[in-house]
Amino acid sequence: MSGRVLVVDDEPEIRRALRTGLGYHDFEVRAVATGEEGLAQVAAWRPDVVLLDLGLPGMDGFEVLGRMQERGRAAVIVVSVMPGERDKVRALDAGADDYLVKPFGMEELLARIRAVLRRQAAIVGGEPVIRAGGLELDLARRQVSVEGRPVSLSPTEYEVLRYLALHAGKPVTHTTLLRQVWGEYAVGDRYNTRYVVAQLRRKLGDDPSHPRYIVSEPGVGYRLEA
Amino acid sequence: MRRWWPAAVPYLTALAGVALMTAAIGLVRPWLDIPNLTVCYLLFVLWLGARWGWPPAVAAAVLAFGAYDWFFVQPYGTLYISAPRELLNLVVLLLAAVLGGRLVASLAAERAGAQASARESGVLNEVAVAALRDPEAAAALRLLCERAVATGGLAAISLVAFEGGEPQVVAGSALRAPELERARRSYESGEDSGASLHRGRLKVIRTFPAGSRVAALLVAGGVAVIEFRDQPLDPDTERLLAALLGLAGLLLDRRRSAREAERLRSLEASDRLKAAILSSISHELKSPLTSLRAGLTTLLMPEARLAPEQRELASGMDRQAERLDRLLGDLLTMSKLEAGLPIERSPQEFPEMVGAVLGALRPTLAGFQVEVRLAPDLPPVLAGELEVERVLTNLLENAAEWTQLGGGILIGASAAADMLTAWVENQGPPIPASELGEIFDKFFTHREGGSGLGLAICRRVIEAHGGEIRAENLERGPRFTFTLPLAPEQVAAR
Repeated sequence: MSGRVLVVDDEPEIRRALRTGLGYHDFEVRAVATGEEGLAQVAAWRPDVVLLDLGLPGMDGFEVLGRMQERGRAAVIVVSVMPGERDKVRALDAGADDYLVKPFGMEELLARIRAVLRRQAAIVGGEPVIRAGGLELDLARRQVSVEGRPVSLSPTEYEVLRYLALHAGKPVTHTTLLRQVWGEYAVGDRYNTRYVVAQLRRKLGDDPSHPRYIVSEPGVGYRLEA
Repeated sequence: MRRWWPAAVPYLTALAGVALMTAAIGLVRPWLDIPNLTVCYLLFVLWLGARWGWPPAVAAAVLAFGAYDWFFVQPYGTLYISAPRELLNLVVLLLAAVLGGRLVASLAAERAGAQASARESGVLNEVAVAALRDPEAAAALRLLCERAVATGGLAAISLVAFEGGEPQVVAGSALRAPELERARRSYESGEDSGASLHRGRLKVIRTFPAGSRVAALLVAGGVAVIEFRDQPLDPDTERLLAALLGLAGLLLDRRRSAREAERLRSLEASDRLKAAILSSISHELKSPLTSLRAGLTTLLMPEARLAPEQRELASGMDRQAERLDRLLGDLLTMSKLEAGLPIERSPQEFPEMVGAVLGALRPTLAGFQVEVRLAPDLPPVLAGELEVERVLTNLLENAAEWTQLGGGILIGASAAADMLTAWVENQGPPIPASELGEIFDKFFTHREGGSGLGLAICRRVIEAHGGEIRAENLERGPRFTFTLPLAPEQVAAR
């Protein structure tokens, strides 16, 4: 798997290491130090993946993320030294595809990049049936089955699962899930999503302490294992 | 001279007036026959009564009657009353004197009452307006004390507030230690001493020992220490003082809540500052670590074509960089806990937290037999998600550290009453009995390269949740048990 990766980070040593490391894996890499340069590269060079540091001097990562609306197909992996859930949630809600806490090893970074690229390919394919392990979701017929056995879901449960499946592999925040499934007025009431996800897991036969399908992202939300 | 002079004026006026009128009547009498001459005196007596009250009017009435009888009633030159009609004249004059006096007395009382309530509302209004300008009401309290003394009813007043139980004069005159002590006693016992304020009335409830006329009155937000004057209070002043003291209570109360709000605001600001400092430290230390790890892990890729011994070197360095990152994480977490930054708690599914931690620790736990034994249908706990997951992570890492590869690690949980009890067991060597209590202390460690913070963090987090954590030795190995509060029913039931 290969593609164009744009690195936006103000630390020269990090840029150098990522250029070399990603280069070994046949990625085309460009690395810039500021948000402005990053935005220019996104428009001109059309990368597949943007590795965006949130703590940039001047225009910070969140602003870059906000201005990247017309970024075309580029997936954004946000990188930050802040392990706090608040930044993760904010970045994901602002449109980031994934979040990686500094410091990280190259293997982990490569795994994340591959995952977003796979997801991009799947979205472009636009399959009517989504599969994740033994879980099958037929979007056209609104049918769900686990290992060939049909599962009956309530409309809310189906909507939650459908949204997670459409973004399989990507962490979906509580806020996004609430907004997508319950509408604007429900935003803030996290316990709704927890309750529905608990019911969903029960029906899918997914053990929350050993999840096969719906994985909890601490402090952030949920992710459907791709 | 000065003392009796003003009191004598009405009587001298009465005397002069009667003399003048008698002379005037004597002058006009030869030309004008006035049928009832006493009418002239009557008007004068009424005027006197209205001007100075009944005593000078009565004096004038008696004088007028005497003069009339002497000069104008036959036989002239005597006080002899010949007809009952003349006696009636005297009675009418006396009645007019008394009525006029009463009339003016009631008018004067009404006017004084109106003036007193005007004064009262004026003073209260002035103090209230001053209070509106400043939430701590310092100027208003000072003004209130000035006005209270200006009523003439008090020699001195001091308003005492209590901060942390210590009396402090907020406005009014300074107090000596015994008076402050008395204010404190009143405040603590909730009882007035010397006087009391009840239904808008200020009552002296005790005769004071000689030389002391000081009372300590409990008001809404503190204590008012007042010193009375020698003479008793008139009712208007008493009412005004009672109103002022009531207002003083409200203002002291308001001052207290304003100060409390201010204190909370500054605490919040210092929390924000601490959080900002921690995040800045974290940024400064983690950036170089990121460069190190990104560079070293790039060197470790097969494409970098390092010789095996070079790879080993780079791999060792990367492990050390990872360790540094963990230590830094522990230190920052501990600082956050010690800085008292609040933990955001919400209902959490415990099995889900276990799942997330096991997922994140997959590489660490790969070589062990991990068993999860959670009671079915565990109710949600009220907890900080990241903090409790940190506890589980630390306990599981600790278990992996002490258990031989291939050994068993067990995670269990059950719920009873309003608490969830969870435990992590490992098959490592038993913990020496003397150390069972100490292992949760900061910087206590037997592990090479351990920070001694992992278990200390666990204890801090669990205690911040109102739970307990302890270690014990089972036959198979040590067990760490902690408790967490369950989420309240109404939330959990949804």
